[in-house]
Amino acid sequence: MEQDFHIEERAGSSPPVIAVSGEIDVATAPQLREWLHGVIARGESTVVLDLLGVTFLDSTALGVLVGALKRCRELGGELHVVVADPRIVKIFEITGLTSVFTIADSLESAGAA
Amino acid sequence: MTETTDRLESGDRVELRFPARGDLIVLARLVTSAISARAGFDIEELEDLRLAVGELCLLTLQGSDAQHGDLRLELNVLGDAIEVVCTLERAGIASTFEPEGVEVARLSEQILDALVDEHGRESRDGSVRAWLRKRRGGHAE
Repeated sequence: MEQDFHIEERAGSSPPVIAVSGEIDVATAPQLREWLHGVIARGESTVVLDLLGVTFLDSTALGVLVGALKRCRELGGELHVVVADPRIVKIFEITGLTSVFTIADSLESAGAA
Repeated sequence: MTETTDRLESGDRVELRFPARGDLIVLARLVTSAISARAGFDIEELEDLRLAVGELCLLTLQGSDAQHGDLRLELNVLGDAIEVVCTLERAGIASTFEPEGVEVARLSEQILDALVDEHGRESRDGSVRAWLRKRRGGHAE
């Protein structure tokens, strides 16, 4: 069964950490886009996106991540993606996005404090 | 997960019809998981098919004005393979596009290339039809 989608910003983290859980698809990706654009719009050029709780991710989610990465880089920053589930990592691999994003398997290795 | 007595055999066919809305594509994914398991696909293949069918639905809806249409999903068990056909009938041209629309379509194609054995998409007489085939034990990657 579909796991409830949830998104939040971790309080006090620098760079900001956006944590997502559940399924990111065409129905929920617009919420992720809104969150990421909101954080970047307040001047945060580097963002850590914690996908450790994500159980499903499709091309619309990847499209949102690519768009957010472009915005971060325009500001001289980066979008770090944290992902450990092999099924989710596989989606990044087959789309060639492992060479586009900075991908880490833990918040610590992504530089989130 | 794939152990079941309700096994589907070659020639069995399941059809699902639902309003062509992105938030309902989850229904296509759920049905695909259930049918794939009953057709003897293993857990990894089942996950591949679930993702691939979601992408198939997205490609069918891509650029279409589907507000009043239905998506029809046909799942056909064919020997050691499953064929999934997604059809959107009487589709108009979308008046608005999602910001990442072109990028998403390219990613959908890449995902399908990697996960299934064959796939295609065609538009004819106002309808859009996309399809895929995947064999058991084929591991398309």
